[in-house]
Amino acid sequence: MSRTILDIHAHAEPLPQRDILEVQDLHTYYRTRHKENVYAVDGVSFTLEEGKALGIAGESGCGKSTLALSLMGFYFPPLHYKSGSIVLGGIDVMKLNKEQLRKQILGREIAYIPQAAMNALNPTLRIIRFIEDIMKEHRPELNRKQVRELAAERFETLNLSPDVLNLYPNELSGGMKQRTVIAISTILNPKVLVADEPTSALDVTSQKAVIKLLKDLMSKKFIRSLIFITHELPLLYHVSDDIMVMYAGEIVERGTAKQMIFDSVHPYTKRLMGSIIVPEEGMKSQKLAAIPGAPPNLKQVPEGCRFADRCLYAEDACREGKIPEKWSGGRKYRCIHESNVLKEWYSHEAK
Amino acid sequence: MNAYTKYFVKKSGWYLLTLFIALLLNFLLPRMIEGNPVSTIASQVSQGMTDSDSIKKVYDNFAKEFGIDKPILVQFGVYLKNLLSGDLGTSFGLYPRPVSSILASAVPWTVALQLPAIIVGWILGNVLGALAAYRKGAFDKILFPTALFINSIPFFTLAIILLYLFGITLKWFPISGGYDFQMIPHFSLDFILSVIRHHTLPFLSIVLVTIGGQAIGMREMSIYELNADYVLYSKLLGVRDSRVARYVFKNAMLPQITGLALSIGTMVGGSLICEIVFSYPGIGTWLFTAIRQLDYPLISGCTLLIAVTVLLANFTIDIIYGFVDPRIKAAQMEEN
Repeated sequence: MSRTILDIHAHAEPLPQRDILEVQDLHTYYRTRHKENVYAVDGVSFTLEEGKALGIAGESGCGKSTLALSLMGFYFPPLHYKSGSIVLGGIDVMKLNKEQLRKQILGREIAYIPQAAMNALNPTLRIIRFIEDIMKEHRPELNRKQVRELAAERFETLNLSPDVLNLYPNELSGGMKQRTVIAISTILNPKVLVADEPTSALDVTSQKAVIKLLKDLMSKKFIRSLIFITHELPLLYHVSDDIMVMYAGEIVERGTAKQMIFDSVHPYTKRLMGSIIVPEEGMKSQKLAAIPGAPPNLKQVPEGCRFADRCLYAEDACREGKIPEKWSGGRKYRCIHESNVLKEWYSHEAK
Repeated sequence: MNAYTKYFVKKSGWYLLTLFIALLLNFLLPRMIEGNPVSTIASQVSQGMTDSDSIKKVYDNFAKEFGIDKPILVQFGVYLKNLLSGDLGTSFGLYPRPVSSILASAVPWTVALQLPAIIVGWILGNVLGALAAYRKGAFDKILFPTALFINSIPFFTLAIILLYLFGITLKWFPISGGYDFQMIPHFSLDFILSVIRHHTLPFLSIVLVTIGGQAIGMREMSIYELNADYVLYSKLLGVRDSRVARYVFKNAMLPQITGLALSIGTMVGGSLICEIVFSYPGIGTWLFTAIRQLDYPLISGCTLLIAVTVLLANFTIDIIYGFVDPRIKAAQMEEN
């Protein structure tokens, strides 16, 4: 098995030029109308290697979308930055001012596909006009004709009809709109593409087209690395090299896609994978494994392990102090128990 | 014929039908008011006459002249026939002045009062509304309740307050008319100054109400658009704030353009109360006078003018909107 990014740290053998994105202890929060802080991303650290697709999974409200947005370095109320660093291609994004960030980073180094890509396009602007506006910011030396040629060529390369350029967003189907948004986001060849649930609102055929498009972008090197956020785990396995699972604002486990789906260590990941609906014989009679309880309130997170209240293996020690991250066989997880002990318990559970 | 031409033709048909119904109502409704205009006029003309036969003769003459001795449907037919040749009839109250001449003298006053007031109010209202949405904070906290307050005052109350405050108490501005009544309209500095002084209060009353209404609408629309997904998406692609603001305000303006076209369209009718309060010599004051005198042709003339302008404005909006907003155009074409 190829070495994961985590191994690099584990063996203190830094290869910084290959890390495209390095996030250290990132804390971001929402400030509510009642002046309360909700720590949606609470101490997240990870690295993203060049050429890798990293999937982020977790249930609704775990902070995965907030993490995606936070990675852009662009904060606006109610989302606020508290601490931590985001190093993108060697540039410490948080040290830039707003104007530098806009000119040097957004759209150029890192691009974002919002959760509701359906409404991501201005309804009264033709697609080509929007592309022209983006180019005016990043490639002012190009004239309109050149922009059109460039856009048409890119659309064609990605199997999208260049005719789309002359249309208004409402003239596109949902799947087309989503693929158009992806093509627009990546037109400047950003190093990292952050896709927040790009397939959630689509039917399976369109989902497939979107996944193919994302893979094309990677293989044609239009983007170097991909961060893919979804709650659809089977899809994640299909798309990502590595998977990271978030729970209550923290990363609870990270490993290769295979490890995470078939051999996860953290009790939460284990439960999450157990909740996947796989269509098979006799499925109707099967009981779907649900995780009892609800995640903690992020306004006031409990001490110790945040999953403790829902965990079958929680002990008193789980509720004391901060739970450190551990390494095991190229993966990283946040639990007081050792991985072999946990696996032992899981094997009993299966019987 | 493409889908859009089809839409255009179909829509025109509906507007023509609406116009016909408006014509019918304009004709019938005034005639259903209790009272007999001819007897009033006849009694005025025949004042001093003692011979009942000659009084009867005067009455019959007028009844024949005005055509009200015939059945109502025949009258309507005559009215339509005359209308097609551009004849709006003769005023009862200002006999023998033709209605069209009265309207022609009133329209410039109404337009000169309303059009600048609506446009100034609309521009100021939209700028303030957009600023309130964009800046938020103290500016919004002061502007929004103020606009809401002004907009909630009934129009005639605001006009009367202005009249009382600046016209009667402070005596800064005259309280009625379009110019000093002892003057004869002609092109001179004195006359123009007089017109401007008379114009100020009614103008202000319309501007204030328009600002209030437009600012509230624009603020709401801008807040909605500012929170639209495309705003964040565009910013995250490095599009500068000023450009994104342009997207937002263009989209927020769309319903406001309808508002502008509609208020320009309803301008003639919308000025009624303002003109009555300030006794301004426009359509509103004439309509008011005509109703009091049961001057059927003049009432029908005024209401016809109002109906036509409203319909024209709506029709224009329908067509222009299709070109400005692709979503509307798509919906229009689907209607077929």
